Amino acid sequence: MLEINDLIFRWPGQTDATLNIPKLEVAPGERVFLHGPSGSGKSTLLGLLSGVNKPESGCIRLLDSDLAQLSDAARDKFRADHIGTIFQNFNLLPYLSPVENVMLGCHFSRSRSERIKASGKTLIQQAEQLLQELGLDTSIMARSVAQLSIGQQQRVAAARAFIGQPELIIADEPTSALDADNRNAFIELLFKEASQYGATILFVSHDSSLAAMFDKHLSLTDINEVAQCS
Amino acid sequence: MQLITLATKSMFNRKASVLLTLFTIAISVMLLLTIERVRQEAKSSFSNTVSGTDLIVGARSGDIQLLLSSVFRIGHANNSVSWDSYQDIKAQRGVNWAIPISLGDSHKGHAVLGTDSTYFAHFRYGKKQPLAFAAGRAFVNAQEVVLGSEVAQTMHYQLGQQIVISHGMGNTSFHHHDENPMTIVGILAPTGTPVDKTVHVPLAAIEAMHNQPKSAPRMIGKPKLSAEQDDAHEHNHSHDHGHADEHKHNDSHDHDHADEHDHGHDKPDTIAVAVPAPADLHGDLIGEPKQITAFLMGLDSPLYTLQIRRNINHYKAEPLLAIMPGVTLRELWRMLGLVEKILLLFSGVVVLISLLGMLTTLLATLNQRRRELAILRSVGARPRHIFTLMSSEAILITAAGCALGIALFYALIALAQGTLQSQFGISLSISLLSHYELMLIGVIMAAGTLMGILPATRAYFYSLSDGMSIKL
Repeated sequence: MLEINDLIFRWPGQTDATLNIPKLEVAPGERVFLHGPSGSGKSTLLGLLSGVNKPESGCIRLLDSDLAQLSDAARDKFRADHIGTIFQNFNLLPYLSPVENVMLGCHFSRSRSERIKASGKTLIQQAEQLLQELGLDTSIMARSVAQLSIGQQQRVAAARAFIGQPELIIADEPTSALDADNRNAFIELLFKEASQYGATILFVSHDSSLAAMFDKHLSLTDINEVAQCS
Repeated sequence: MQLITLATKSMFNRKASVLLTLFTIAISVMLLLTIERVRQEAKSSFSNTVSGTDLIVGARSGDIQLLLSSVFRIGHANNSVSWDSYQDIKAQRGVNWAIPISLGDSHKGHAVLGTDSTYFAHFRYGKKQPLAFAAGRAFVNAQEVVLGSEVAQTMHYQLGQQIVISHGMGNTSFHHHDENPMTIVGILAPTGTPVDKTVHVPLAAIEAMHNQPKSAPRMIGKPKLSAEQDDAHEHNHSHDHGHADEHKHNDSHDHDHADEHDHGHDKPDTIAVAVPAPADLHGDLIGEPKQITAFLMGLDSPLYTLQIRRNINHYKAEPLLAIMPGVTLRELWRMLGLVEKILLLFSGVVVLISLLGMLTTLLATLNQRRRELAILRSVGARPRHIFTLMSSEAILITAAGCALGIALFYALIALAQGTLQSQFGISLSISLLSHYELMLIGVIMAAGTLMGILPATRAYFYSLSDGMSIKL
């Protein structure tokens, strides 16, 4: 599913590398917990995995494509088709309804839309189904996302990541605003949704207490040789 | 959801600033279109005012002053042309026809023009179109009057009614020639020229009105006066408007107490009577005028124009001025054209400022919108999507501004139509946009699109550098 070999990344204008990861492997359908303190390069690694940034050297093989070899436009397309992202602050567009926010990803990815069509559903039906599966009832669907609670917004953000069944779900500290009970419940929901079609989950957090819930636990300080040196 | 829908929803989310920008563009578009439409209509009604007249002759003043007073009824001719000179010039070789005109009186703010039957036979406007009667006929005696279409319309006059002419110009004349009520016998068809706003009377009527002592009985059609009376009321078109015997009479025809001043003027200056039968009414239309304001001339051949013009300008008996209306009209339009070009330039600048305002708004909000752009990038939007989104916003705002501007333009025309017609003689029709006006809209749309490229390009590069992370 994901394989990183000899990855080196340096921000423009900096002499020191931010990331130096000799080896990292994630199997399909695996639930991986990536732990790292602030400034350890978590966001940089996620930027590389999602194809926004390009490594200086090395290989990032995701679903048999080497992201380092793809053009900017091809990496954008790859991200739109195969990666769903849940952000720490959810990043919903306030002027769209929950359903419209969920459908947003499909508008930039033909393959996600086609997967939904292949299942015999419309985009709206799929978005509503996802929201319901994630515990949101239909009454909130006509509301503006700004009127939703933090927990509800988080579920909308999760539904947006899952729509069109992308193979990799990246969750960047999505539970940092929740209490322990809700945090665990949310992670269980993510697992349940991912298991329906075998999505791989890469869950990034600085809270190592969550590690036990995942199949695999990686620490960025362990895999990033730059962090080890510092 | 298409990008356009996304752009629309995003703009609706920022409706206050977007609406302000949109209104600015709309108002500037309205201004530009209105100025352009008024310019076009003014130019066309201007050049259509007189046609087929080779020379206009008046007392020596300025070319434009003579044109303004004789054709546009604007201002006053300070001097007049003696009737003898008129007769002499009219009889010269090469002169085909001559229309005498005597101005200086009014009826409820409408200019009164004294002339003879040649006016209806030879006066041309537009593309050498003759005057046509919407109703009735030309006057045949000194008690008859022919109205321009607008006079009849605004005053609700009909054939057969009688009206009273005031001494001097303007709405509030204190000297009414109410011993001389005149019968409306004809109403001209609309021409879109000052003719529409003119009350046409025979020269003899003008002379009769001014020669008549206020205590005398009504003398319609009897212009002959004693030498004393004639001297006392010598009609000179450079009227002293502070006339010593100013008085206000009502419309009673029994002036037993004619010397009483200010009888009350509540009643309109009209008396409804039956339309007189034309038979046996033919009388002297000219009388024995001493002077007229000006005269229009048609020549046998345009080749005579310069020679006759030179002769008149060197006329020995009295200082006269002959102008070629086409040349003077062009001269006058050039003078006005400068004003019109400045107006057009200003409205163009207003449009530019409004578009720059849009650019400022889009650029100012761009930084706040980097989060939104990063979110779109995270869900798969490519930089070109971001560019399209931002450009389409500028296009949508400009297009909506233009559409609203066009609507406001038509609303303004509908509202101002009457005022422009009555005050300036410019008839604005609610017609479809002309090719030129559509081209102006096209230029604004293109300029708006170009303006949108700058924020779109910045957004494009932001989206490249920011990626999915929001650096704010």
